[in-house]
Amino acid sequence: MDTVSPVKSLTRRISTTIAGVAGAFVLAGCAQNAPQDTFAPKGDNAQKIHTLDKIVFPIAGIVGVLVVALACYIFVKFRDKGQEIPAQSHGKPTVEIILTIVPALILTVVGVFTFRTIMDLAETEDTEMIINVTGQQWWWEYDYPVQADQGITQPIITSGQLVFPVGTNVLLRETSRDVIHSFWIPALNGKKDAVPGRVHLLRLQADKPGIYAGQCTEFCGLSHANMRMEAIALSKEDFAKWVAGQQKPYTSPAEGTLAKEGETVYINQCSRCHQVNGIKDANGKAIISAPDENVYSGAAPNLSHLMSRNTFAGAMFDLVTQKCRDDVWNAKSEEFGAKYLAGVTPDCLNEKNLRAWLRNAPAMKPMYADPAKLEKTNGLYRGMPNLGLSEDDIDKLVAYLSTLK
Amino acid sequence: MFTPGSKYFLGLTGLSLVSAVLYTFLVNPSDIGAYALFGLLLSAGLITGISFFTRDGEADTVEQAVEANTEAPVSSFWPLVFALGGAVTLLGVATNEIVFVLGLAVLVGGGAEWAIQNWADRASSDSAFNSFVRHRAVGALDYPGLAAVALGVIAFLFSRIMLTVSKDQAAIIFMIAAAAVLIVGILIGTKPALRGKTSVIVVAGVLVLAVSGIASAISGERHELEVIAEEDPYSLEHRECGEEASEHYDHHANNTVSLRSSVTATVFVKDGKVTAQLVGLKKDVDTITIPRSNDINILFRNLDKEEHRLVANLGEAKVGTTDVMEKVGTCTQLTGENQEQVLTVKIPKPSSPEAPYTLTVPGAEGEIKVVVP
Repeated sequence: MDTVSPVKSLTRRISTTIAGVAGAFVLAGCAQNAPQDTFAPKGDNAQKIHTLDKIVFPIAGIVGVLVVALACYIFVKFRDKGQEIPAQSHGKPTVEIILTIVPALILTVVGVFTFRTIMDLAETEDTEMIINVTGQQWWWEYDYPVQADQGITQPIITSGQLVFPVGTNVLLRETSRDVIHSFWIPALNGKKDAVPGRVHLLRLQADKPGIYAGQCTEFCGLSHANMRMEAIALSKEDFAKWVAGQQKPYTSPAEGTLAKEGETVYINQCSRCHQVNGIKDANGKAIISAPDENVYSGAAPNLSHLMSRNTFAGAMFDLVTQKCRDDVWNAKSEEFGAKYLAGVTPDCLNEKNLRAWLRNAPAMKPMYADPAKLEKTNGLYRGMPNLGLSEDDIDKLVAYLSTLK
Repeated sequence: MFTPGSKYFLGLTGLSLVSAVLYTFLVNPSDIGAYALFGLLLSAGLITGISFFTRDGEADTVEQAVEANTEAPVSSFWPLVFALGGAVTLLGVATNEIVFVLGLAVLVGGGAEWAIQNWADRASSDSAFNSFVRHRAVGALDYPGLAAVALGVIAFLFSRIMLTVSKDQAAIIFMIAAAAVLIVGILIGTKPALRGKTSVIVVAGVLVLAVSGIASAISGERHELEVIAEEDPYSLEHRECGEEASEHYDHHANNTVSLRSSVTATVFVKDGKVTAQLVGLKKDVDTITIPRSNDINILFRNLDKEEHRLVANLGEAKVGTTDVMEKVGTCTQLTGENQEQVLTVKIPKPSSPEAPYTLTVPGAEGEIKVVVP
């Protein structure tokens, strides 16, 4: 009977483990459903980065493989076998010159293409539309300044989903209200930090209608991993419809309905932080929220047209059921606009998610929302607290929020 | 001839040169990429020169080093200075900022001199040769360094005098001092025979300056400066947001804004008219949209000959717990032709179409609407 030595057995186990881990990495690169794939550009700016990748990665790969192979060869060939230490020498001008010039040439080629791409991505002369993007713990706010040539005659404010027309050079003007965040939609461009007190510019352009996913890429606190964003590219005609929908005035629910009772609950419980444009109190006076008095970042998502977007809480949870979500995500380009613009229909509303959020938001998404632990923020919440709503109030609120389209 | 360090930096210089030239011809000679690469080229070239000159700072490899002999190394007082610097720095931490800064200066200066002397002492055991090595490495810095310190002291003492006397007296003293410096300089340069006497005059002048400066520092600044220091021109009571430039006007307001400042929009006044541009959009706009509850910088640039200021009109608010309403707003200081200032605003409430927030320039036509969604 053959026996395997302990050393060979250990070597075999280590080799198997390394091969397994390497295989897992390789297989992970074959994912079919990878909306945040860096190597699948869907717009002009991401394509520029991808073109650069195609030059730099093979060069880096070849150099890496050569260096590792050479190092391994030297480790094995010249390992200590008890031989005498060979004669030491100092200074080999030919080798030194080659080892200086070859990397210099490689870096020069890489440097020239990299600088060129960086400068192209910093271009702003061809901007056709601007959108202000503001990050805060842990959601993104998008506001659209008045731009008559884009049909935006009144400012628009939304969150979670950034909507823009295809084939248009959009310039995002990023900033932050609290800590540093980073905006990254891999299919559309590289990442750009959103820094308090600064305005950073990021180009965005999409070739086809669709949803492009991304998430915050600068660690920003407890729920950093839950700070997502979705860029929604619509055809120009559909974008005009979306703009018209966002500029519709507020309509109060009809008297005697559950939604009307929900409006009262909203005014009493939610309007301290959340704004619904156009909502008025019993005396006909406009209700203006005061998130700066309650939330550390000084802002909470504007809910004026909540049901026109199909996610909430930093694009973390779906407002629509899985079936309806798949229907929009997998729609063909020509059908996508109509399906997205349908918003959250009664059939598609994901009541389970919405109710769970209203019941206890911090249980769904980690936030600094424990009233007993807010001394560091002078009593201000980071995120939405548990409001302790009754099931009756939740019913009314769901009915009311469903009307905000 | 080529030390290891100089070879490395020579390679870096060559790489920078090739990159800069290629970038200039292949990409764009006038954008920031070309400037960055040429900057790298200059920096690498400078470091290469230093590396050549100092032979990587290895005194032991100096070719002229003499053979070792039995002479003992010279004693050094720099460790004492270094220790004194450490003590004064610690004292400064416990007392006040000036003592701390002085201690830090002594600490750094003493430490540097100690290190340099130690480095030179390793060249050989011949103190004369080591002194030569030290002088060759840093001798060129001694006199300019001492001169800079002396000039700093003179400037500080002179500034104390100028802040104490009246404005008219300050002008006269400045003219007399400038004329005296010029005359003494001419005498030293043209009359070598009088060098001894002029030296006496210089020493006497420095003594007068020292005594006057210390006396001025003790007596304090002139009355009007003390008043301005007490009356904050930026306090709400002294806010002047019209065309006026009264006694509280801040004459020391900075009128140049760093290119690194991050602004969301620029407001111009030109030919008496107000216009605005958003960062990232190269066209005039009449409305600026800014996020709610966030500090936003707006750059104001005056292109008119008259002085102007930018005023932000941010609606009305109740005074304390009363029902009395007062206007809310802020403004820059007056700024002159081709000068600029930044106005930082943070607006916690959204604007309403009935009463929008605005940016105006008193004395100029037009306004920019500020929308807070």
